[in-house]
Amino acid sequence: MTLLTVESLKVGYGDLIAVRDVSFTVKPGEIFVLLGANGSGKTTTLRAISGLIRPIAGRIAMEGEALGAIKPHAVARLGISHVPEGRRIFPNLSVDDNLTVSYLPTRTDKSLRAILDEVYGLFPRLRERHKQMAGTMSGGEQQMLAIGRALMNCPKLLMLDEPSLGLSPVMTDLVFERLEAISNQGLTILLVEQNASAIDLATSGVILSNGVVSMAGDRAALSSTQYIQKAYLGV
Amino acid sequence: MSSTVVSLIQALASGLLVGGVYGLFSIGFSLAFGVMRIVNFAHGELVMLGMYAAYSVYLLTGADPLLAIPIVGIFLTVVGAGLYLVVYERFVGKATLQQLLVAIAISMVIQIILQMIYGPETRGVQSVLGSQYLIYGPFFFSYGQIAAFIVAVICVGVLELLLQKTRWGKLIRAVADDPEAAEIVGANSRAINTVAFAVSCCLAGIAGCVLIIYYPVNPGTGMALMPIALIATVIGGLGSIKGAFLGGIICAIVQQLTSTFWSPALQDVPLYVLLLVFLAFFPFGLLGRKTAH
Repeated sequence: MTLLTVESLKVGYGDLIAVRDVSFTVKPGEIFVLLGANGSGKTTTLRAISGLIRPIAGRIAMEGEALGAIKPHAVARLGISHVPEGRRIFPNLSVDDNLTVSYLPTRTDKSLRAILDEVYGLFPRLRERHKQMAGTMSGGEQQMLAIGRALMNCPKLLMLDEPSLGLSPVMTDLVFERLEAISNQGLTILLVEQNASAIDLATSGVILSNGVVSMAGDRAALSSTQYIQKAYLGV
Repeated sequence: MSSTVVSLIQALASGLLVGGVYGLFSIGFSLAFGVMRIVNFAHGELVMLGMYAAYSVYLLTGADPLLAIPIVGIFLTVVGAGLYLVVYERFVGKATLQQLLVAIAISMVIQIILQMIYGPETRGVQSVLGSQYLIYGPFFFSYGQIAAFIVAVICVGVLELLLQKTRWGKLIRAVADDPEAAEIVGANSRAINTVAFAVSCCLAGIAGCVLIIYYPVNPGTGMALMPIALIATVIGGLGSIKGAFLGGIICAIVQQLTSTFWSPALQDVPLYVLLLVFLAFFPFGLLGRKTAH
């Protein structure tokens, strides 16, 4: 039983091939990490899953259904939520409005109010700042908002692109701890990280280098130092 | 009261009234830019199209242009949605030069079509409002301009309310902030852009209806209006709705003051000076957003 299947994915920007051959499967309920150094193809893989960039070759399937050439908003409506690199919250919208525009009534029976309460319960800081323009918040608060926004459509799969980037260690711990709480509620998470400490969170994952999968395995296998060295240092 | 003071107050008040209408067509231009980053240089022609449409309704039925607002508004909304889906969508995110050339081509097409239908003559309507004046002491104001101002204020208020409070309004603002992020939270940016562009054109149509009350139209009117929308938008802040409205009022007041105290022939000169000053020293305008995306 798999939730997300990525098979022989190849993606590029013009002549530049960022992802050469990537395959992995994400099982329901797990925290799956996509590790790798800068430029190893992690972000591009997520962007391909979200429909933000068309793959050159390969197959992406959600619950066995191939996504094909559908638009990003259609991917979101299938229950795949993407917390993009750099957070990309709507700076000129209030915290409340950032969340409410991301609510998709077709995806859930829950009311907007009920989901807002869940998100604010998860991130009390956002509730305190619900009227504030999102662009005026700190990086950590914006990251919470980006995650909260991705939860508004009651996803089956939550994808996060380097949520720890630019955050203080304390804030990083807080964000990771919240991700665990979200995972404990049964949500499947696909986490892209350069920060190898993300392995502690993972059930399993893959290590990418230069657009191919160099290692795949469970947490124990991933944390073995030689794998990490090989992926990051190429030795 | 000395005659200078009377002239000053008269110029300021007339400027405010005319400025409401400038503001009304400037917010349409600003909306298209703010949401889609499209510099729609055909916006003046769309206002002109609204003027001719209201004129046609008047010719056929004798109805006052104010009564033609709903039908002309709907007509321009449809024209706008069509224009976006057939032409402008292809140029979203492209170089400004490409957008500019396309918009100029569109404005030429609109001009030529209107010239073929209506000829080159200047045409106006005999509006009851346009020919009557409110006289108050030494001051006088055209009822047409007063009505136009009221319509403009209502439109800006309604637009602002829709953008702030409704789901579609919030989605439009989200797309304006970051179209890609809006897509990944499930917003269909194509549909949202189409609505925003249609609203921009609808506002141009409404502006045309109120303008024709006191401002006769010929096929060159669009070209004459376009610089005002551009300058108003730059003064107010690119992409800011309230800013564009404020910018329109400032433009009209500057014109009125210049024509009262200097010469009507030179009324546009200070506008261009203002444009240069804002572009050089205050590129975000009075109310512009400083967070670029």
